Amino acid sequence: MTVKGTRKLSFATLTIPAVLIYTSVIIFPIIFNIGLSFTKWSGLGTPQWVWFDQYRRILGDPVFWHGLRNNLLIVAVSVFGQIPLGFILAYIIYRRMVTAGRFFEVMIFLPITIAPVVVAILWNQIFSPAGIVTELVRIIRNDPRYVFKIFENKQLAILPILFVIIWMYTGLYMVIYIANLQKINPELLESATIDGASEGQILVRVIIPLMVHIIFTTTIFAVTGSLKSFDLIWAFTQGGPAHYTEVIAIYMYLNTFRYYNYGLGGAISMVIILLSIIIILLTLFVYKHFEKKYE
Amino acid sequence: MKSFKSIGMVLILLLVSAFLFAGGKAETEKAESAEKITLTMLEYQDVTDESEVGTWKVLLETFYEENPNVELKIDTLFDEAYHNKLQAMLVADQLPDIMFLWPGKRTGQITSSGKIKDLRPWLKGYENDFADIAIAPQGPNGEIWELPEQVTATHVMYTNERLLNELGLTYPKTLDELIGQGKKIRDAGYIPIAMDNGGGWQMQSCLLSALVERTGGMDWLERAMIGKAKFTDPEFVNSLEVIDVLAKNQMFSPGINQAQYGQALTDFVNEKAVYFIDGGWRVTSLVSELAEEQKSYVKLNVFPEVPNTRGQRGSTAAVAGTGYGMHAKLEGAKAEAAWKWIWHYSGPVGSKIRQAEGAVPAYNLEVPADTDILVKRLTEFTSNVPAGYVLDAKLSQEGMGVLQPALQEMIFGNKTPQQVAQEYENWVAKNEPTRK
Repeated sequence: MTVKGTRKLSFATLTIPAVLIYTSVIIFPIIFNIGLSFTKWSGLGTPQWVWFDQYRRILGDPVFWHGLRNNLLIVAVSVFGQIPLGFILAYIIYRRMVTAGRFFEVMIFLPITIAPVVVAILWNQIFSPAGIVTELVRIIRNDPRYVFKIFENKQLAILPILFVIIWMYTGLYMVIYIANLQKINPELLESATIDGASEGQILVRVIIPLMVHIIFTTTIFAVTGSLKSFDLIWAFTQGGPAHYTEVIAIYMYLNTFRYYNYGLGGAISMVIILLSIIIILLTLFVYKHFEKKYE
Repeated sequence: MKSFKSIGMVLILLLVSAFLFAGGKAETEKAESAEKITLTMLEYQDVTDESEVGTWKVLLETFYEENPNVELKIDTLFDEAYHNKLQAMLVADQLPDIMFLWPGKRTGQITSSGKIKDLRPWLKGYENDFADIAIAPQGPNGEIWELPEQVTATHVMYTNERLLNELGLTYPKTLDELIGQGKKIRDAGYIPIAMDNGGGWQMQSCLLSALVERTGGMDWLERAMIGKAKFTDPEFVNSLEVIDVLAKNQMFSPGINQAQYGQALTDFVNEKAVYFIDGGWRVTSLVSELAEEQKSYVKLNVFPEVPNTRGQRGSTAAVAGTGYGMHAKLEGAKAEAAWKWIWHYSGPVGSKIRQAEGAVPAYNLEVPADTDILVKRLTEFTSNVPAGYVLDAKLSQEGMGVLQPALQEMIFGNKTPQQVAQEYENWVAKNEPTRK
């Protein structure tokens, strides 16, 4: 066998198993799901071809639109809440603007180490009608029937969950930013200081341009993570009451696994993928703009 | 020299006996393994519930004592996880040999798949040993897919008579009388009716079903299911109006739609509520949570009379309980072994074990004199109170996904009973399999 032939054989031997595994666990399910989304199938028998009926059904369902609205709020809170907050906290600790920075770093990071189900139960214990805070407010107001009405308002019920999401995930972004800030050459910052740059100028002119790439990467994480958020909300409210805190992933789960509408479930997951792609492309557009600016 | 000889003799004797016993044991093991039947089982259990775990342990031990040649390979799951796995197993055609099933729509997908064995041939001759409702047909041709462990009344209005006496009240005869008690109960710092509806199913299963039986009756519901009546009819709207009136008069627990399942029970056990609406299954928890003195004044009632009654007066809603069923592929010794477990669980042995823990078995058993007083009351309740259908046992889960959130919105005051009825009827007319 020639050297070229041997190389080809080695290449094939080394890559084919990985390609096969990847195809069977990633590519095949995606293609299968695309096909499934055009059918009506309860999990038994032959799927019935219905073309775009499932998509039409999703678009005509107010529960989906409310779930989408909640998802977009989570995306907004993640991108415009967790990321700036995580960056600011990382900057404060990195520039040693507080004493005991290490302590704060650990404290802020701590929530991410707790399982989402535990976090949900914990916050539920605090704010539920039998929760500690609710009981306290009842005593203060002398109203034994007091409950937090925010959970019973269709537009506002998602807010406590958004707060918990910020509380839980900000630490993750902070740690990523600290790790990247530490990679910046200290001499660069010293030079800027010697040249008379203020703290604000150092941040805007030196640090942010160097961090654009990682901010973009974390934004992608935040967007994709937000669109598939499920566990925390499921353990918190199961999307209730009356779908008020439902997100698209819960909408998909209920239709697929509780009501056995696999076709509809497939179509919902396609919508989630499409939304992710649109938002990521949007982020990429913004990133390109900033990249050019700082080049 | 003599001692060497005797030591030698002892050693030889030991060796010979060891060989003999080893051989004997090997023979026995060989015989046992030849008859050993291994069955896979998907079991439904809340492993955080100590009393449930304890009962299960006893059930297994007694089964193995009686059937040493049967080995059960058990996989335990609870709630959503159980249903998801069972569904995945069905789709993958890997259903276990024995599985926990529901008589109604909850596992309707599994039981209607043709992969579950009809238990009637085994049950033949024992039908009269069970409560009538327990062996009601589960399949379209009268099939029995699972042998119910108990009869479940989904509506019981547990009453704390000590609090009623303290407030100078008696158990109300009518809805108006009940509502009239509300102010007095609230002013005294108590909850009139403890209920938790965070999951949405509680209001439908534990109150609405019983009310539909009162205002409509089984005959009306059967007609509504096939489209000869509508959910916008007064029969259904009237039942919704009862809940609406109760909510508007602050009769339920505050934050009822936020409260997770179990909170109302806690309030009732802590004597913060005069009435508590839940299913008959809650007696098991009350038996372990209440002190003996408390048990003496906790009574089991049904919801008072409501206006526009067309169905059975003073009725509850009941459904044949859950139980084990077997895979249709099982034949011969394996099927016999699976039936042994099913019969052990829901038959006289298992029923007696569960009865001792507070359950009301579907198998007709005499109530022993030393049975807990609450269990006695539940047995009496189940035997004497007329019962109608439970909605989610008759109508599809997906439809409940429309009805239950609409009920929550009605309790919030965002929808009228007519709107809820219309929304549900629209869905049923378009999607309910019985309407097609």
